[in-house]
Amino acid sequence: MADHDRKSGLSIFKPRGTSMCNEVRVIKLVLAGWLISILGFQAVVYLLELNYSELLLSDLTFFNLPIHFWLTGQFLPLWFIILCAVFNFWMDRHSLQSLDGSLRFTVHSADREGEQ
Amino acid sequence: MDASTVQLLPLVIVAGMFALLIMSGLRTRSRQASDYGFSGGYSGRIGIGAAIASNWMSAASFMGLAGMFYLKGYYAMAFVVGWTGGYVLLLVLMASQIRRFGKYTAPDFVGFRYESAAARTLVACISIMITVIYSVAQFRGMALLISWLFGIAYIPAVVLAASLVVSLVVVSGTMGVARNQKLQYFVLIVAFILPLMLLTRKLGYFWLLPQFGYGAAITDLQTQFGFGWSEPFSSVSLFHWLALCFTLMFGTAGLPHVLSRFYMVPGIRDARWGVVWGLFFIALIYWSAPAYGVLGRLFEARGGIPFSADPAHADMVILSAVSYGGLPLWVIGLLVAGGMSAAFSTVANLLLNGSASFSYDIYSRLIRPTASENDKVYATKAFFLILAALVMLLTLKPWGMIAEIAALAFALAGNTIFPAFLLGIWWDRANAPGVITGMICGVLITFLPFLVGDALPMVSQLLPATSSAFIGAPVVVAIMIVVSLLTAAPSENIRRFLARDVHDCTEE
Repeated sequence: MADHDRKSGLSIFKPRGTSMCNEVRVIKLVLAGWLISILGFQAVVYLLELNYSELLLSDLTFFNLPIHFWLTGQFLPLWFIILCAVFNFWMDRHSLQSLDGSLRFTVHSADREGEQ
Repeated sequence: MDASTVQLLPLVIVAGMFALLIMSGLRTRSRQASDYGFSGGYSGRIGIGAAIASNWMSAASFMGLAGMFYLKGYYAMAFVVGWTGGYVLLLVLMASQIRRFGKYTAPDFVGFRYESAAARTLVACISIMITVIYSVAQFRGMALLISWLFGIAYIPAVVLAASLVVSLVVVSGTMGVARNQKLQYFVLIVAFILPLMLLTRKLGYFWLLPQFGYGAAITDLQTQFGFGWSEPFSSVSLFHWLALCFTLMFGTAGLPHVLSRFYMVPGIRDARWGVVWGLFFIALIYWSAPAYGVLGRLFEARGGIPFSADPAHADMVILSAVSYGGLPLWVIGLLVAGGMSAAFSTVANLLLNGSASFSYDIYSRLIRPTASENDKVYATKAFFLILAALVMLLTLKPWGMIAEIAALAFALAGNTIFPAFLLGIWWDRANAPGVITGMICGVLITFLPFLVGDALPMVSQLLPATSSAFIGAPVVVAIMIVVSLLTAAPSENIRRFLARDVHDCTEE
């Protein structure tokens, strides 16, 4: 059983095949961008409040908005849209390449069968 | 914002909007059993996105979020980030994979993936629990609006809201609810943003993009009235902010009525791009919602109206902001129509999905296996009425703000269905005993603060009722992994299906 599991195991940490490996790689990149942005912005806001309090957070504004409102409420949703679009563009390109590869494989196989 | 008389013009606008819904429903009325669960045609990726956004927009987004900003300031940003960031998880980890499974409901998916009728039934029961909790939030929103429209007290307004939901669904059916989704999104976005533009214009702020223009109101509040939002973590800890944010994200990726959007789209690419457009349409509302909370506070400060911490007052801040701003009554009517539309469509879809889940996953499998299609339709209708009555009774007690009640539903979804889908898609060793044990633990974790929160304050600190999935979801995933490893592996068939059909591992 253990041997069988080792051979056929499939997970996000143990992808199989080129297609899945590539997909998992881009998923990890997108999730890293997602996680770092959420935690990073809140850490920055927290540290600004801790160290400078109202002095900085009330003075720093962007398009009229206090910087923490803008970073969290405006930029993060926009960043999520960008991440999703980048992921989709990559997946579209990747799926076209995969389709192209599989078609070539099919044509080659038919040629060989014809030759034989 | 108290009103003791019938608001005639807003009432006419709301009635007109509902007449439109009924007429649309009657035109496409269907008696097919399958129509009581899911429906809706799609046209293009933008159409799918509008349908996703319309499906998502509820009283919590339309009214609750602004109320949270009014009452809790920066803490409410956790809702904005949680309810948008969850779509990233949904897209990269689930959307196209769910589409590849080719199953139509969350119980279908779990029953097939884990090859277990028990797991399927458990998910159906959890879906119904989520439906009930989420619907309570919607009923509360509808009741507050109806209470203002008719000038009646909260409790009769709850009863009236329930009657309205039941009668409209009976008359128009689910096809009427779902087919209006693109039009409905258009109505919602206009109803939400137009009053905001008029308000910011009246105040002399940058009205073309009120999503930025309201920043001047924050400055005015600070300079003129000494009220500031410049200490975001002074009243709520960073842990609680992150706990709420991640709970909402996990819940977004685990809500059955959100996941169901991806079962029916025409193709995988459509499913993926539909999420991007849907997220954009949702973000348009969330970029704007804080403005209502801020402007509501500004008008109250200018008018010398004392700040009220009453949750009902906060939930109605979108109306009070427009009212104090002196905008015409038809603008308020537009907002009320938008809020009613958001709450009604969400609650109708939820109750119909919940009753369909009961009929197809519980009634016809466990209670009466020989049931005919007609029996299932009758069971769906009967359970719809039971669910509506249950939700109505629960709404009579004001549990909290609309957004807080909705967050509890997200916590339950994040602690149960999200881990089941995540491991079901991304780990071929996950099995039925693991997912059943994990989901039962997820339910316990969700309700633990209510059960032992008073006796053990530490539990409420670590697992706040609205934010328990931050710790709960990883714990449930760990439980599922441990139990799966200790029990027999799933069948070779399902593992092969996962590798070949879901993850496209064709090279092996």
